[in-house]
Amino acid sequence: MLSIDCLVKTFFKGTVNEILALNGLMLKIRPGEFVSIIGSNGSGKSSLMNCIAGAHLPDSGKIILDGENITLWPEYKRSQFIGRVFQDPLSGTCASMTIEENMALAHRRGKPRGLRSGMQKSERAFFREALARLDLGLESRLQDPAGLLSGGQRQSLTLLMATLVRPTLLLLDEHTAALDPKTERLIMNLTQELVEREHLTTLMITHNMQQALNYGHRLIMMHRGKVVLDLNKDEKSRLTVQHLLEKFSSITPDHMTDRMLLSL
Amino acid sequence: MTFYAFYGAIEQGLVYGLMALGVYITFRVLDFPDLTVDGSLPLGAAVCSVCITSGWNPYLALLPAMLAGFLAGMVTGLLTTKLRILHLLASILTMTALYSINIRVMGGRPNIALIRQPTVFGPFEHLSLPPFVSSNLLFGLIVLMVILLLIWLMRTEFGQALLATGDNPKMISSLGVNTHFTIVVGVGISNALVALSGALVAQNQGAADVSMGVGTIVAGLASIVVGETIFNSRKLQLRIISVVLGSIIYRLAIALALGVHIGEFSFTPSDLNLITASLVVLALVMPRLKAALRSKKKVEHAEH
Repeated sequence: MLSIDCLVKTFFKGTVNEILALNGLMLKIRPGEFVSIIGSNGSGKSSLMNCIAGAHLPDSGKIILDGENITLWPEYKRSQFIGRVFQDPLSGTCASMTIEENMALAHRRGKPRGLRSGMQKSERAFFREALARLDLGLESRLQDPAGLLSGGQRQSLTLLMATLVRPTLLLLDEHTAALDPKTERLIMNLTQELVEREHLTTLMITHNMQQALNYGHRLIMMHRGKVVLDLNKDEKSRLTVQHLLEKFSSITPDHMTDRMLLSL
Repeated sequence: MTFYAFYGAIEQGLVYGLMALGVYITFRVLDFPDLTVDGSLPLGAAVCSVCITSGWNPYLALLPAMLAGFLAGMVTGLLTTKLRILHLLASILTMTALYSINIRVMGGRPNIALIRQPTVFGPFEHLSLPPFVSSNLLFGLIVLMVILLLIWLMRTEFGQALLATGDNPKMISSLGVNTHFTIVVGVGISNALVALSGALVAQNQGAADVSMGVGTIVAGLASIVVGETIFNSRKLQLRIISVVLGSIIYRLAIALALGVHIGEFSFTPSDLNLITASLVVLALVMPRLKAALRSKKKVEHAEH
């Protein structure tokens, strides 16, 4: 499904600020797997996401998705395979456009856009039905600008939009980090539901270790641009946050950050 | 204001309204402040005038003018996207280069007269209408066509992608839109409209002049903010229409200002750029001033 081979990414190369974000990272993900990725700040989680999504191009290495070598594809081209949800709830929707216009944009993900109508009448019923499943009452607000929605509503909409056309790979980049605990639960339940119903291959970055333990089939810990821990479902189910922290400090004795501790 | 000044202002409002619609596409839809227009307005005028003096049909001559404007806009778009030059600077570079190009287009001269040449107003001469009626009729028709075309375009898949590019480029590229393409084509369409406006202005005034573009962007912005302030509509169709209405009101206001005499003092046409620039500054800071005043009042109210 997704195979990442010896991925290297350096920022500010040749300056004093040079950062080796990905250091020969290797990762193989099977179809239908839901993988949580944890790691401290600067461990390379976001760089990995950005390289997979095409927002950054790696210095070297290979990214194979569904048999295609997409390593150097531009972002807009690989988006036909990839659904994304960002950390900032405002990033995933167009505030000035209506809910249905946003959904129509997402419904055309990866397809060429020409001079046909931007939204067919027949799509509206489909959008309404999909929104009704969110149970947020958005199905009656199709014509409202997305900017009127709350952060949680916008993130739910983004999640729905990312899966409206079934993605080969779903990338969730700390998609609950900017939300309050109640909304976070709502979004995680929705994530679980969507991923299970469609059997989506999913990569989820999180800062929340409990979340990483509760959701997904596999847990990966990153440190200094490499995978340092890779647990399957059984191993994961026997762990607690305390175990995870101990594991983390044994692997990376010098690198326990406040953020890591605070986001238990 | 005299009767002629009134009709003249409406005529100007309509023909420069096409330019304002072009500026709207960059400034509001794409969130791309594009100064190329100061060069693409005379470019349209120059290309059209050269075509007419070499025997083209004056209506047909509008097409190469628009194409030239489109290409000028594309250059700015490519400088911004592919060469990563800041959009404002990229457009200033294109505008500066266009000064030389416009003079080249006009065969090394800074202007071309269209006296005794056929113009788009030709077919109206047989109708024995007064000239100010025929020009208003023609410009009104063209503006109506462009408005309908723009409303249609904005509803297409491409148009929706264009709107999204201006609103949230990160999101729309994650949904598979090549934002470089939408920006280049969007800025191109914008400048095609500005060039069309320039071509019609040249035919109306009877000359193309290399300096006729000075202050175009500011006049375009003024039309947009006047339209937005007065009509304040949310729907895109109405916003597009209010750009043209804003342009007409702006030209009427200028005609009024030019008729004002305070003792010895009166405005001259060369004062217009100062007045317009001040108007735009005022309109741009107005929302923040209003908000600041409102919250100040609330605080004072709470203290009592």
